[in-house]
Amino acid sequence: MIYLLGLLISLTAGLLFIRVFASKRLEAVLHLLLALSLGLGLVGTSAFYVHILLNQFNRFIPVAVVLSGTLVSFFIKPFSLPQLRMTKAHALGLLVLGLIAVPLAVCAHYYPFGGWDAWSCWNLKAKFIFLGHEHWKEVLAPSFWRSNTQYPLLWPLINVWFWDLGGKFSQAVPMLNSVVIALLTAGVLFFGLLELTGRMWPNLLAVFIIMAVPFNIILYASQYSDSLLGLYLLSSFLCLLLAEKYNEANFRILSMVFLGLMSFAKDEGLAAAVIAAFVIYWHLLPKKNGVGLKAFWKDNGKLIFWFIVAALPTVIFKLFLAPKNVAFINGLVSADKPTDWARLAVIAVYPWFEFISAKWGGFWLLAAGGILLAGKKLWRTAAGTIGLTLVFYLGVVLAYYALNTYFEIGWWMSTTLSRILFALLPTVVLWIGYGLET
Amino acid sequence: MWQRRIKIIFLACVIFAAAFDLWRAYAQAVFQFQDHATVPLHSLGYPFMGLESLFKDVPGVGYYTDQTIDSGNPLATAQFELAQYMLAPTVLDLNHPRWRWDIFACTSPQTALEAIKRLGLVPLKTNHGIILAYNPRGID
Repeated sequence: MIYLLGLLISLTAGLLFIRVFASKRLEAVLHLLLALSLGLGLVGTSAFYVHILLNQFNRFIPVAVVLSGTLVSFFIKPFSLPQLRMTKAHALGLLVLGLIAVPLAVCAHYYPFGGWDAWSCWNLKAKFIFLGHEHWKEVLAPSFWRSNTQYPLLWPLINVWFWDLGGKFSQAVPMLNSVVIALLTAGVLFFGLLELTGRMWPNLLAVFIIMAVPFNIILYASQYSDSLLGLYLLSSFLCLLLAEKYNEANFRILSMVFLGLMSFAKDEGLAAAVIAAFVIYWHLLPKKNGVGLKAFWKDNGKLIFWFIVAALPTVIFKLFLAPKNVAFINGLVSADKPTDWARLAVIAVYPWFEFISAKWGGFWLLAAGGILLAGKKLWRTAAGTIGLTLVFYLGVVLAYYALNTYFEIGWWMSTTLSRILFALLPTVVLWIGYGLET
Repeated sequence: MWQRRIKIIFLACVIFAAAFDLWRAYAQAVFQFQDHATVPLHSLGYPFMGLESLFKDVPGVGYYTDQTIDSGNPLATAQFELAQYMLAPTVLDLNHPRWRWDIFACTSPQTALEAIKRLGLVPLKTNHGIILAYNPRGID
């Protein structure tokens, strides 16, 4: 019951935050889904400022901060509840979520502690912050190097906020949050594509080909931060496409806020956020009569400001709190473990085997077919920013595999590449689906 | 014309993949719902459950094992990391039995008891092969 109250507070905070920025009214269900996605990020951010930055461990303060912020948002811009209309498309969307929810819930119950990294990294940090109070920083000690001490803290802090509200540690919170994030991803994808293209049935297929794959269900139930990264990347690009469709510049601000929050989810999220932000700024630059600094600030100043505001926890954490990554050897300068041709050959070949692996259920082959069919449409306007971001991001990831020679490359790629691709799936489907259906 | 045909073939492939995925998702769910035989990896942490109340406000506890904790020994590594998760925020000090309390997770209880005797500690409690020992000279 307390957990549901937490969701309700997060939803309200997200609803009002979106309403402050968006003058155009979003479709009600999509508004609610984006609001809860954003709200979860806001509660995690409030837990960061109170517990991590200000070192305050009274459990009521992060909850009070969110409630106060919500109240302020309410008075900044009068709010009326979204008008819910039950259409055939809504009924179908809710049926899709229901169908996805069953295997997700069973899988989450089957792995109540999540996957390996959940207990070794993400939830471990959450427990240290919630139960260890001012001693939480012990989890950043060098002896915890296996826990990826340099990783940002959004997913742990979202769980901490819910424990703050409930007043006690409960394993059910990360378990339920993992299911909620998976359902939000499915919902944002379905209703987002519906809003963009007006089509129902292809969107239903789009959701099933990623959300119903057994391997993905296990990853969603694993309580990893990758699913949060996937949700925020999807939400960000959806807002960008909506901004273009409705010529509503404020949706771009939401897009930047989602990117900023994503940067606090994982190091890979930080890389993807920076790449996406630069690609979006470049896309928005005036292309005629040269590029003036004044024109650049006029178009992008607000977006840069909100990106920095949303990414501020990441900046603070990375500059002042995060320990050095001990699992890093620069292969370009190392004499003991240099980057060699054998490593580069594995990096060049391994992804192709990953793409045709049976665990994806043929998704990447379908994606390749979709890319060929959609053709140039995928590289024009805002859709092009998605494509370029995906290409640059994968390039950076592969370059990092080559640069960091700490781990044996075969083992490292076999344990991490699938999770990196998993986080990109919803955005890839949004991109291809939008290109094919418009 | 050929473009239309290719689109129809593509759509058929997507429909087939979606239906097949959904069927597999439910097959996996039915298996997981009925499965009581598979021993899940996280069950390695069960023997440590309940100790967190004993270690309340204890900053550190020793964790002794005769196995190496690295990627070549995933079960021992998983057990150590699950123990750390179960007992957080108490920090487990790997193979440094200098604390008041020490946990011995060895390949056999016999090996653990030998180590406890060698280090001059007092065995207190056994749970599924895990032994909790008391160090009279240990730090709190």
